[in-house]
Amino acid sequence: MKVTWVLPGGEEVVADVTEGINLMEAAVAHNIGGIQGECGGSLSCATCHVHVEGDWLGKTGEKGDFEDVMLDMADGKVTDASRLSCQITASRDLDGIRLIVPA
Amino acid sequence: MTVWTPNDDGFADLSSHDTFVKGAPHNTFARLRRDDPVSWTDWDGGKGFWNIVRHADISELNRNYQVMSSARGIRMEDQTYEEYLARRTFQETDPPEHMKTRMKVGKAFSRPVVAEFEQQIRDLCHPILDAALDKGAFDATKEIARQLPMMMLGRIIGTPDEDLPWLVEKGDALIANTDPDFTDHVLDKMDTDEYRMMPFNSPAGAELFDYAKRLIAEKNRKGDTDGVLHMILQPDKDGNVMPEQEFRNFFCLLVAAGNDTTRYSIAAGIQAMCHQPELLDQMQEGGDIWATAPDEIIRWATPALYFRRTATCDHELHGKTIREGDKVLYWWISANRDEEVFDDPNRVDLNRSPNRHMSFGQGGPHVCLGMHLARLEVRVLFEELAKRVKLVEPAGDHKFLRSNFVGGIKELPVSMQAK
Repeated sequence: MKVTWVLPGGEEVVADVTEGINLMEAAVAHNIGGIQGECGGSLSCATCHVHVEGDWLGKTGEKGDFEDVMLDMADGKVTDASRLSCQITASRDLDGIRLIVPA
Repeated sequence: MTVWTPNDDGFADLSSHDTFVKGAPHNTFARLRRDDPVSWTDWDGGKGFWNIVRHADISELNRNYQVMSSARGIRMEDQTYEEYLARRTFQETDPPEHMKTRMKVGKAFSRPVVAEFEQQIRDLCHPILDAALDKGAFDATKEIARQLPMMMLGRIIGTPDEDLPWLVEKGDALIANTDPDFTDHVLDKMDTDEYRMMPFNSPAGAELFDYAKRLIAEKNRKGDTDGVLHMILQPDKDGNVMPEQEFRNFFCLLVAAGNDTTRYSIAAGIQAMCHQPELLDQMQEGGDIWATAPDEIIRWATPALYFRRTATCDHELHGKTIREGDKVLYWWISANRDEEVFDDPNRVDLNRSPNRHMSFGQGGPHVCLGMHLARLEVRVLFEELAKRVKLVEPAGDHKFLRSNFVGGIKELPVSMQAK
């Protein structure tokens, strides 16, 4: 599946991502600036914050309780479109998803 | 003892604190990474343990907290269940319990909150560096590296400056509890049974706790809501308040772990400047280097040498069977010099990027709570140092801590010439 990250400067990075891994791991594998994923996806660091663009948000599922609290500690503006990308698993349904890395 | 090039024979005893007074035994770790990635160490102080030394293996296990639990202790020393209950902090819990504490304390150490401290850190650096440079030749650990984290600790917990040397001395007694320069109760050399219910098996834990209690009472009396402690003691959204014992242990952790680790990162950075003069030039050129330099200095330092986990079930790795209940040490210091991950790992490269070091235990739920603060302190201190000096040189032998748990240069004689 394909994922596009829109970086704070407007540059876009498109990558093929293996289904089953999470989108933080995918970002780290492609050295996406602004996504560190320091806790390896265990909801302890809030360093993989993204805004999910447009209608893709609805396809990423519901935020968990812990994710909501952790988002409060994230860099960048937290909006209704905010997710921790470690909590989104790459799947066929999300093929083409666009993620905005907040400034 | 000045150690820049590792000089162990490749077969150092990793259970011995004395091994580490010559610096970390990097030749031993290199051999283990190459030939014996899951090795067993017998230990005369208790049950032996497994050593995990490759970056890839630690990464894989570190996220797998179901198999490798933190809830039986995080240092090599054995703990009974009652000791564990009395002494544990959230370091010694697994998800989801670990996350509940993390939620309470995380905000205070989150990057956006910590970023607000930058000017304060810079303001603290000015007098520290000016005083040191006036001396010309001095112990950089004592005069620089020890000062900034101590002063910041005071700002964060909201304690008067005059209390800080006492607090830091107690924190050192806790965390460097195997080095006779830092405690009268050397963990492996005397009967510390009397203190075994106290944080870090140390009477300093009890003294620190009494201090925290007085501090909180005083703040409450004044209606002072500044500082991290107040934030942490607020009820969560379900009305739960951190129990007193957990708070006591958290306070000790904050004073101990939040303090000496940054100190030893700064010391290791200054040590590196002594041995690689080009680092100062690069720092003085500035620009992008400050985005990468702090992590490289912290990789180089690796103040937390290892953390321990305990296997919750039998686990196979590289042909070895780790049995349920076995202690497993993740040697961050070895992962951070892994040739498979880092080009020229034994050199400091301030431009290194990406830098997937593990000094903060990255890749698992226990990733360092204070990492954003540590990076910020390291960046600002070296920015300010580079503005002021034209030469940094060693001025004698430096000495390492006697500890296989905390890697640090406790004495670092240097001479510096101000611009």
